Formats: sequence, C-alpha cells, structure tokens
Amino acid sequence: MGKSYPQTIAAEPWPENATLYQQLKGEQILLSDNAASLAVQAFLQMCNLPIKVVCRANAEYMSPSGKVPFIHVGNQVVSELGPIVQFVKAKGHSLSDGLDEVQKAEMKAYMELVNNMLLTAELYLQWCDEATVGEITHARYGSPYPWPLNHILAYQKQWEVRRKMKAIGWGKKTLDQVLEDVDQCCQALSQRLGTQPYFFNKQPTELDALVFGHLYTILTTQLTSDELSEKVKNYSNLLAFCRRIEQHYFEDRGKGSSSIRLS
Amino acid sequence: MAAPLELSCWGGGWGLPSVHSESLVVMAYAKFSGAPLKVNVIDNTWRGSRGDVPILTTEDNIVSQPAKILNFLRKQKYNADYELSARQGADTLAYIALLEEKLLPAVLHTFWVENDNYFTVTKPWFASRIPFPLSLILPGRMSKGALNRILLTRGEPPLYHLQEVEAQIYRDAKECLNLLSHRLGTSQFFFGDMPSTLDAYVFGFLAPLYKVRFPKVQLQEHLKQLSNLCRFCDDILNSYFRHSLGAFSCVNRNQQQTDFGEASLLLDKKRSMPICRNSPSL
Repeated sequence: MGKSYPQTIAAEPWPENATLYQQLKGEQILLSDNAASLAVQAFLQMCNLPIKVVCRANAEYMSPSGKVPFIHVGNQVVSELGPIVQFVKAKGHSLSDGLDEVQKAEMKAYMELVNNMLLTAELYLQWCDEATVGEITHARYGSPYPWPLNHILAYQKQWEVRRKMKAIGWGKKTLDQVLEDVDQCCQALSQRLGTQPYFFNKQPTELDALVFGHLYTILTTQLTSDELSEKVKNYSNLLAFCRRIEQHYFEDRGKGSSSIRLS
Repeated sequence: MAAPLELSCWGGGWGLPSVHSESLVVMAYAKFSGAPLKVNVIDNTWRGSRGDVPILTTEDNIVSQPAKILNFLRKQKYNADYELSARQGADTLAYIALLEEKLLPAVLHTFWVENDNYFTVTKPWFASRIPFPLSLILPGRMSKGALNRILLTRGEPPLYHLQEVEAQIYRDAKECLNLLSHRLGTSQFFFGDMPSTLDAYVFGFLAPLYKVRFPKVQLQEHLKQLSNLCRFCDDILNSYFRHSLGAFSCVNRNQQQTDFGEASLLLDKKRSMPICRNSPSL
C-alpha cells in the first residue's frame, strides 16, 4: 500500500538538516495537529533519526496533503504519519520489520482504532463542541491572520469538519457519547498493552508512537474542562507508558518536555 | 419469556439472508448469541423510514445502528463475546475500526458508486423494495451518500481525481482483506471455535461482496483468491442460515429474471448443483 520510492531515495542517507514543520506551538496549534506532530517526532526518535522542529503559521498550506506535520528530507516532502513511515522504510529504517504477518495486521488494526476513535473524538471536541469552539479553537486557528480573514478561515474549517462528522455518523453524537467512545478506546489500548513496556513487548513500533502522540497531548493540553484527560487518567498503565516514552525518547535526549498549554 | 425482538432489515438474495452489510451484521450476531429475533424483511409495503435500517423494535425500545443494537442485545444477556478475554475484546474493537476505515469505502463504491454495478444490480434491487414514488428518489440518495462519504473521508489532496481516490481505496481494501486472511489463518472463527462480534462484522462486510453477482468485480475477484475468507463465509451461511434461506428464496426468485437468474436457483439446490461462476472479466 502507498507509494513506492525509487532507488535514489533509498541510496541517500538521512541528512542532518531534516526538518519537521508544524503550526506555531504557543498560540496556534490545535489538539489534533499537536497529537499528529508529536506522534511523528516520537517515531523518528525511536528510529534514531535526527529531526529539527520548525514552527510556521502557514504549515497547513505548505503541506502537500494539507495536513500537518510534514517533513522535509533532502528534496522530498512527506506529510502524515502513514506516508512518513513508508518513506523512512524506503530509506532502510523500520520499527516493525521484526513482526510477523499476524502481528502486523494487529498493529495496523490498532492504528486504525486510534484514528477512528481518538483522532475523531479530538476533532469533534475541537470543532463541534460549542464551548471549546468559542473559547479556544476559533481564536487559536485564526490567530496568525488579520480580521476578517481569521473568522472566515475558522468558520470554513469548522464547516468542513462538521460535514465530515456528519458523513461518518458522528454528527448526531453528544459530547457524553464521544467521551464514552474515548473511554472505550483507552480501555482497549490499556487491555492490549497490559503490563508490557510497549505494545509489541520490548521494542516500540509506529503504533507506540501514534498512541503516545495522542495520549500525551490529551493529558497535557488544557481545555475548557478536564473530562477528556480524566478518561485517559483512569488507566494507570497508559500513564506509565506515556511517561516511559517521554523519559526515554524526549527528556534523555535533551529535547525537554513537549507539553503545551492552551489558555 | 422475553419480550419479542423484531428486526426490520433489508432482505436477501444470491444465497444471503440479507444483501445489506449492516443488516447482515445484526442477523449474524443474533444467531451467534442465541437472541430470538423475528426478522421483518422490508418490502414496498413497509411504512417506516428506510434511512435507519436495520432497526430493532421491542416493547418499549426502538434501536438503530448495528453498534447500538449489539450493545442492546448484550444488555439483554445475549452476549456472543462471553468467552473472550479482555485482550480479545480490545482486538475486536481494533479490527472493526480497520474494517470501517479500509474496507468499507471500497465496498460502498462497489455497490453504490461503480456505475455498471449500481445501475444493473443495486438500484433495481433496492427500488423494487421501496414504494413508488420513493423508489425513484431513495436509491439515488443512498448512492450520493456513499460517494459523499468516500470523498469526504478519503478524497483529500494529493488525490484530486475520483480515479485516484478509487485506485487508493481499492488498494487499501485489498490489503485489508489480506490482513484479515492472515489473521484468520486456518481457524474456524477469529477467536477460536465460537463465533463472536468480530466474526459477525467480518461476515456482514464480506458476504455481500462475496456472493452478489456484479458486472465489475475486481474486489470480489481478490476476495475469492483468499480461500480461508470464502470458507469462513460459507461455513457461517451453512451452519447458521441454512434453514432461513428457504423463506428468502421465495420472495426473491420472481424478481431475479435477469442474467443473474441462475443465482437464485442456488438458494434451494445449493448442495446438489455446482455453482456457475460466470462473472464477466473486466
């Protein structure tokens, strides 16, 4: 599945100046985009590939797919975790090569679960929950732009997201039902992780990076209420998992904590 | 005796108790969990709203959407997942997410968007079960809804043309089928010897794709190469739906006066006649 890269890509080693682009950390980036960016950063750290994080207000528009984050490596630009994993694999680095076919199927299934439930819940909360939209999202999304562009772009994005929610059947859900779904997803992740350090025991894979990106962001982002992070806090092994990855792949390498606070 | 549970759903054909994935998921789950469902097949005399089908009606409740119906049945103690471990329960959720993200777009496309399939098979089948004048409007609306869903969830840049989106969703669907086949292996069901929720979902999504006779069949051809998945569907049909197929064949036989007429003969004579697979090649 996905693109296949020519030999020239595989031949070039990973450059020192590889860059990851995302929106402005303090004032602009939203919950779902921050989760995606952190997942990619965690994945690259796990592969031991150096990456520099650069914040740009127009990152969303620079990206080839319109989604953040994207990485600029050599003369290639690749966005989103899935394609980035494929690209890194073409360069000879992979975290999931040691898995057998059944385990790979499981890993892909759990990654879809995270996208299907956690990411969609984050998008719902950001763009369909009136309280969050009014107090946080609109202001943050439009912050780099002058009036009236800031309002127009925010409303346009909100309309797009709501249309998608309706198409997949989330349009009629209440916030409580969405939080229930988040709880169900966290319960499944917690049960799958069990007492292991990573989802496939000793070595982390892209699934660990993705789960870390979302859970860590949910835990450290301040929203209008704590309901979302409380759902995750119910599962102690997930908290330990986040702490473990943060310590091992971020703090130990002098990167410092990536938490953001939305005021 | 529990209050009677009535399920209103789309009917069957081509050897299936229902051609509608969501209805099939619920029917299969009910068989696996032993829930005594009275199945009401929708025909053109049915007065209810068709948008929410399948619908479960009890004395005091009306429940729609497969996930909610299954939850309701579990609360009534009809639980097909009783024997599963916590980890297997988690795996169930994950694989269902995989089905919805990777397989569903291509199934929707095969039934509702691919022009040859939609105009020769899907639309006539559904229109014959909807009263005039809704029969002129509703299938079109369902088709647009399917296309909408595909484009909104998968049609994002850098895929700008419908052909590119189509190519990508079929690639994803074939990979999903391969993953399911690897996961099933040689087992009878996904979690050991007893069927569970995941088996109901996989059966619901795969069986219509496997059995319905379409002109454009690329995904179906891929599925037929994965013999363990085909065996999985046939086993469930033979073990759990053999007796009810007779009822469905009477309703459908008169309507299948097209080139696909031979398929309806399969319903009663399944075991004695060899199955003719005359699907035209692309």
